[in-house]
Order: sequence, then C-alpha cells, then structure tokens
Amino acid sequence: MSKHSALNTFGRSGNPAFTRNFDNTGTFSQSERMTLDGAVNKTAILLGLCFAGAFVGWNVPALTLPGLIIGTILAFVTIFRNPTKAGSTAPFYAAFEGMALGGITVYAEMQYPGIGIQAIGLTFGILASLLFCYKSGIIKPTENFRLMLFSATMGIMLLYLVSFIMSFFGSGIGFIHSNGLFGIGFSIFVVGIAALNLVLDFDFIEDGAEKGLPQYMEWYGAFSLMVTLVWLYIEILRLLMKLRSR
Amino acid sequence: MNSILFGILAIVSLFIFMNLGKIKASKKQMNRDDRIKWNSRRKPNIHENRDGSKIIEGSAEEISDKTKH
Repeated sequence: MSKHSALNTFGRSGNPAFTRNFDNTGTFSQSERMTLDGAVNKTAILLGLCFAGAFVGWNVPALTLPGLIIGTILAFVTIFRNPTKAGSTAPFYAAFEGMALGGITVYAEMQYPGIGIQAIGLTFGILASLLFCYKSGIIKPTENFRLMLFSATMGIMLLYLVSFIMSFFGSGIGFIHSNGLFGIGFSIFVVGIAALNLVLDFDFIEDGAEKGLPQYMEWYGAFSLMVTLVWLYIEILRLLMKLRSR
Repeated sequence: MNSILFGILAIVSLFIFMNLGKIKASKKQMNRDDRIKWNSRRKPNIHENRDGSKIIEGSAEEISDKTKH
C-alpha cells in the first residue's frame, strides 16, 4: 500500500484516464503486447481524425456543441465503462472532439485572426519539448509529482465545475475568465498543469511498453494523450485570447 | 509571417514527436527507485486463517525446547 493515503483513495494520476488499475496478468504473445511504436502510431491516427473532425467543425460551426457533448460522453465511456474497447471508442472521441475544437477555433479566429495556428504551434511545441525532457531524464515523474498534479488537476476541475454551475444563476467566478493579471496568471498556471500531465502520459506509455501490457493499451495510452492535448489546446487558446484582448 | 512560423513549429514538433516517441527513454529515466508504479493500486491482502482469525504480525513467540518441558 502506498504511503500516500490520498493516492490509494482517489487514484494516482491527475489524468482521469489513468485512475483505473491495469496489470499485465494473463498470457499474451509478443505480437499482442503494447509497444512504443504502436502507441505513437495510434496517437498519430487519433490526431489525424481530430484534424479531420476540426475541418468539419471549422466549416460547420453548428456542430460544435453536439461534437463537444458526444466527445465528452465517449471519453467517459472509454475511461469508466470499458477501457479494453478503447480501440473502438477513441477514434470516435478524437473525431467528435475535433469537431468541437474546429468550431471553438472559428469563434476565436473571428475575434482574433491568426490565433488558431498560434495555439496549435504552441501545443505541439510543448508536446515535443516535454517529450524530449522526459526521454532524456530531465523531468523525472515520481509518486509525489503525480500526487501534486492529481491535486492541482482536481482543484482546477472543481473550480470550473463550480463556475459552470454558478453561471446558471447569472453569477460566476469572475477572475478565472478575466483578462486582468490574475486571470492571465491563472491561465498560465492551468496551461502548466495541463502540460505536466503530458509527462504522466509519456511515463504511462513507456511503463506499459516495458511491462508488456496487452495491445489494447496502445489505444488507451494514445487516448489519454489526446485527452491531455485537447485540454492543453483549449487552455492555450484561452490564454492567448486573454492576452490579445488586453 | 507569424502564422507561417507557428505552422512550421507545429509540423517540426509533430515530426519530433513521431520519431522521438518511438525511442526508449534514457537509462537515467528508467533505472530509478522512485519511478511511478502504475499497476500497484491494489487493496492490501488480508491474510486470514481458515477459521476466520486474522494473522497478527509481530506477536508470535518462538517455542524453544526449554519451554516445552
């Protein structure tokens, strides 16, 4: 049992996709085991589907809300219902979430031209630089690192949830959406937390490939990476919008 | 110009991800004692005897030959 009781109670990762337990019990042949190549290729497939969905959402912005709702439902199904079926649900998640992102980006582009490509460039820039930092051992994820990220991520999600509920009553937590110094500082903090969640995704995939988890975990690892990338993209877009509106 | 630069950044970063992602992490990263144990989130095993009594660690006494007689 871990010395951190919170870890045992709530799970070990900030990313909800990693709060379930997986092990490599069971017999699998070498070709049925998770590999780094497989996980990266499947991430590329999901990214391709996300871009295709974004193209649709860009041209038909009315699909933003349906895409967001269906994508969110598919994410919850993948995480909580049956991770072994991630190969069937993750591609649909990527496509629908792409639709939502395309619509959101059109909305942002109408207000601040050129902001979409900036957010895409920064998102992938952070992905590549953190992957280098992880692979080279500059950033070393530990149990404390994971506990800290889990706490921060849950705190942010709770704050967003409260803000969302308060918005129905004509109120809200103003500072997190403002373009003042506090609002921008909050956005930078959230971007930092979302970015550090990528390190946990890399570690999960690396660990799974090393231990030879079943092959469907390639899809699950790729899906987890997509969830974090989508969150990171949205937060970077929000941060850039705040900066441009000043 | 700004858009071109960010576009190039995105493409180069994706290329780096696709290549670097397939390479195993360095030994410095992998051979650590404080690595995250992704598949160790289990409930502790409760050892019970067949009659349902629990085993209490640390309270057993060693029976020597002297104590038998």
